[in-house]
Amino acid sequence: MTGTISKLLAVILLIFVCSCRNSNTGHVGIGFPAADSLPAGEVAELSYEAVTDIVQNMASPVEISSILQEMQIPFTAEYLAPTQESDRLTSNFQKAVMLGIYGADLGYLNIYGKTGNSVEVLSTIKKLADGLGVGRYFDFETLRRLSVNKSNLDSLLFMSVNSYNQIDEFLRENDRASVSALMIAGIWIEGQYLATQVALVHPDRILTDRIGEQKMILGDLLMLLRPYRESSAEYNSLCNMMEGINKAYHDVHISYRLGEPETAEQDGRLVMVQHEESIVEMNVSQLEEIAGVSEEVRNKLISDR
Amino acid sequence: MKCRFMIISVILVFLPFITTGQPAAEEFVSNCVLAAGNNTTYLKDFRVQLPKAGPDATAPVYKANMYLMKNIKYRFSVCETPESAGELIITIYDQNKELICSLDKSTGKKYNSIDFVCNKTGLYTLWYDFLNGEQGSGVGVVYMIK
Repeated sequence: MTGTISKLLAVILLIFVCSCRNSNTGHVGIGFPAADSLPAGEVAELSYEAVTDIVQNMASPVEISSILQEMQIPFTAEYLAPTQESDRLTSNFQKAVMLGIYGADLGYLNIYGKTGNSVEVLSTIKKLADGLGVGRYFDFETLRRLSVNKSNLDSLLFMSVNSYNQIDEFLRENDRASVSALMIAGIWIEGQYLATQVALVHPDRILTDRIGEQKMILGDLLMLLRPYRESSAEYNSLCNMMEGINKAYHDVHISYRLGEPETAEQDGRLVMVQHEESIVEMNVSQLEEIAGVSEEVRNKLISDR
Repeated sequence: MKCRFMIISVILVFLPFITTGQPAAEEFVSNCVLAAGNNTTYLKDFRVQLPKAGPDATAPVYKANMYLMKNIKYRFSVCETPESAGELIITIYDQNKELICSLDKSTGKKYNSIDFVCNKTGLYTLWYDFLNGEQGSGVGVVYMIK
C-alpha cells in the first residue's frame, strides 16, 4: 500500500514538473526561451493572437514618466495612488489592476529619483505580487536596497521594469493572460491619468500628441480585454469604463505625412532619422474630455477596494 | 523501494531549478542592459534563442512587435552569449518595410547598437536573427535616449 502511494506520488510529481516547464528546446549554460521563433519566410499578416502579443509588448511603466521628466515637469506626489488599505484587496481582479497602477507609480518615482519615497510602494507591490502567486519575480529586498541607497538608478530602473516584464511573461505562459491583461490595463490607465493631469496644468504639444496617440494603443488594449468581459462583473465593468475612454477619443484623428528616412554613422553607431510623420489632431476640449473620463476611471479603480 | 521513489520525487522537484540556468541568464541580460551608456532609460528586452538554419531552409528569426512613439529617440542594442555560433542582428520593420538593420549588407559591417529617431507613432516589428543562420542565444535591449 505504502509502495503504491509512493509510486503515485512520484507520477504526480513527474506530471507537475513536466507541466510547469516551458516547452523550450534543451540548452546548456545561459538559456532563453525559444518562443515565437519561426522561419523568416513564414512571417505573414498579423493574426488576432499576434495583435494580442503586440498589446502585451507595449506597456512600459516608465515611458510617460520619462517624457514628463524631460519636459522638466515637477514631481507631484498627489498624482500617486494611495497605498493605505491595500491589504483589503481581496480579489485577483483588484490585485492585478492595482499591481499595474502601482507599477506605473513606481516608474514615476524612480524616474524622478524619489527613491526614498518608493519603499512603501515597493512593499505594496510585493504583497500584491505574492497574492497573485508571482512574488518570486519581484526581488523586494534588492529593489528596496537600491531605492534606499539611491546608489544605482539604472539598476533600479532595470530591475523594476524587468520584474513587471517577467510577471507579464509568466502569467501569459501559464494560461493567466486575463490577469496579465488587467495588470497591463492598470499600467496604462495610471500612465494615462498622469499624462492627462499634467497636460491640463502644463499644456505641451509633445505631451498632448502622446495622449492623442493613445487612441491606437487603447484600441489594442480593448481587444485584449474584451474576450474576458463576460468572465466576471468586475471585468465587464472595466471594459465598459475603458470603452467610455475610447468614446472620448472618437473625434481625435491621426494622419500621416510621408518622408524618406536618413541614415548615417555617428560615433560608431548607426543612426536613422525617420522623416515620415504621424500628426495628431486633437483640440483642447477633446483633451479635457479625455482627461476627465480617464480620471474618473482611474479613481473608480483605486477606490473599489 | 519507498526510499527510492522518494529520492526520485525529490530529484524531480528540484530538477527544473537545477537546469534552467535562470540566474546566469538574468546576469547576462543585466550586464547587457547596463552597458548601454549614460542618458538611456531601459524599456524592454527580448531574449532570443534560435537554432541553426536547415540546409535548404530560411534562417530562423525571432520577431517581436512594439509601439514606438513620435519624438522619442530609441536605442536598440544586441548582445550574444559566448556559446553562440553567430552574431545577433536586429532589423526594424514598419508595416513589412525594412527601415534599418544592424548589419550593413553592402559593406558587411555589423553594429552592436542602432539609434532610431522616431517621428511616426505606430506599431513596429523587430526581427532578431543570427548572421548566416547560425545558432545562438542573446538579448536585444530597447532604451529611450534622454
